[in-house]
Amino acid sequence: MSTWIKVARYQLTDRYIFVVSPWLILALDFLINLVIVASLPVGQHQVYVGALSAIYIVLLTSGALAIARQLPFALALGVSRRSFYAGSALLCVAIAAVYGLGLTVLQLIERGTGGWGLRMHFFRVQYLLAGPWYLTWLTSFVGLILMLAWGMWFGIVYRRWSLAGLLSFIAAQILVLAVVLAGIGVTHAWHGVGHFFTTLTIEGLTGLLAVAAVALLAGGYGTVRRLAV
Amino acid sequence: MTPAISVAGLTRNYRGQLAVDHATFDLEPRSITGLLGRNGAGKTTLMRILAGHEFASAGFVHVLGASPVEDEKVLRQMIFVREDQTYPYFKVRHALQAASCFYPNWSHELAGAMVTEFNLPLGRKVRKLSRGMRSALGIVIGLAARAEVTLFDEPYAGLDPVARQLFYDRLLAEYAEHPRTILLSTHLIDEAAGLLERVIVIDRGQIVLNADTDDLRGAATSVSGPAIAVAEFTADRPVWNTRRIASQASAVVAGTLDETDRARAAVLHLRLEPLTLQELVVHAAGSPPEIISPERTSA
Repeated sequence: MSTWIKVARYQLTDRYIFVVSPWLILALDFLINLVIVASLPVGQHQVYVGALSAIYIVLLTSGALAIARQLPFALALGVSRRSFYAGSALLCVAIAAVYGLGLTVLQLIERGTGGWGLRMHFFRVQYLLAGPWYLTWLTSFVGLILMLAWGMWFGIVYRRWSLAGLLSFIAAQILVLAVVLAGIGVTHAWHGVGHFFTTLTIEGLTGLLAVAAVALLAGGYGTVRRLAV
Repeated sequence: MTPAISVAGLTRNYRGQLAVDHATFDLEPRSITGLLGRNGAGKTTLMRILAGHEFASAGFVHVLGASPVEDEKVLRQMIFVREDQTYPYFKVRHALQAASCFYPNWSHELAGAMVTEFNLPLGRKVRKLSRGMRSALGIVIGLAARAEVTLFDEPYAGLDPVARQLFYDRLLAEYAEHPRTILLSTHLIDEAAGLLERVIVIDRGQIVLNADTDDLRGAATSVSGPAIAVAEFTADRPVWNTRRIASQASAVVAGTLDETDRARAAVLHLRLEPLTLQELVVHAAGSPPEIISPERTSA
């Protein structure tokens, strides 16, 4: 266990990966949107910007960098692949919990200030992040873990099979998606799928995302075990 | 005594290419061994397998009594300093800090002293360091970790002679105070010869020589002088190679020479020079294993 904590600390040595990049980019993203919304003609309607996705995308790359950049040196220092992965995953879970809370607090401020005085919906996202604060936190938490775990898996694939492997991995994911979509089409199941998603509650969706996050973490673990550096 | 490192029949196959071919050897605990061989001979692959970074295709590897693959207990006592180390986007200070976290016996004092000796800029990014500076950082980490098993793969690529001497001095001083098992791969054989208690020579993945350096001193002698005298002296002796220029010749004679041999050489006006470790290694790495095997000293 103590090695896991050490790995987590090791991961935080480069503050850009997990701390600076996500919040810096989110702050810039927020400011840009604020300026744009402020320059819109004054009206009574709410403005939905959907730019919160930036932090999720940045954390996907953070997960990838945390493995691709940090793993070889950690192994040279006698850290096992298993501990390195467990420590990194532990850090990701902690980061998702704290950052999810941060996003929740920012959402509360946004609500309290009437959308920063501009009726802007930045931290409030229709359907996804529109419920009570604890649900916002839970969905953010699960969503952030999902992105970090996915990113880590990309990083591991890159370390293990380099660029060709990474491209194959991306292609494989697209292929799986295509097969699923084609399968739905062939079995004329679109109606059922549509019904499923329109009736899916946010709690249900969060549960599905959690299952996906666990699957991604397991996939990363399965890939890191035979990684050679 | 249980060997610190024990390897038997170790093989690593890369798509039909044997990087390591049935390597077998033991390393005593608390010893300094040189792993020597040409580029591409399999030194790095062998060390990567010892460190658990790479997987063997076949064979047996034990480090400190257990397989190093994913064994937390073994890995905690091992450090691998490699020439081609990929560092994170760390400053020198952070790289040292990270290493110090993982090694319980880490010496801040030693690390600090060596950083000063090598003029390492603590605030500079490791990726911005010159090749020699990066090597110096690896050396500092490798020695300050005071790990039971210390693997150095070409640790001084790009280092100037002064810095290399610093490394040798520090290595010996550290080894005297905190003995550990050190395996060092290098091309600068004669320079490192004074450090090495044992040498293992690997060629095309095979171990072609594994001997104590003491046993290798005088294991072969270069005999030079008039061609007729050389021919007379070397008759009935195992000769590795003979060179002849006009009436002068030189030959390398395997085996130790006794007083009678030396007296005879003096009478024949022959010059005798023991082969240096480097010359021995060049010979070992350049010949088919069967030629060197009579000279091989078993572990």
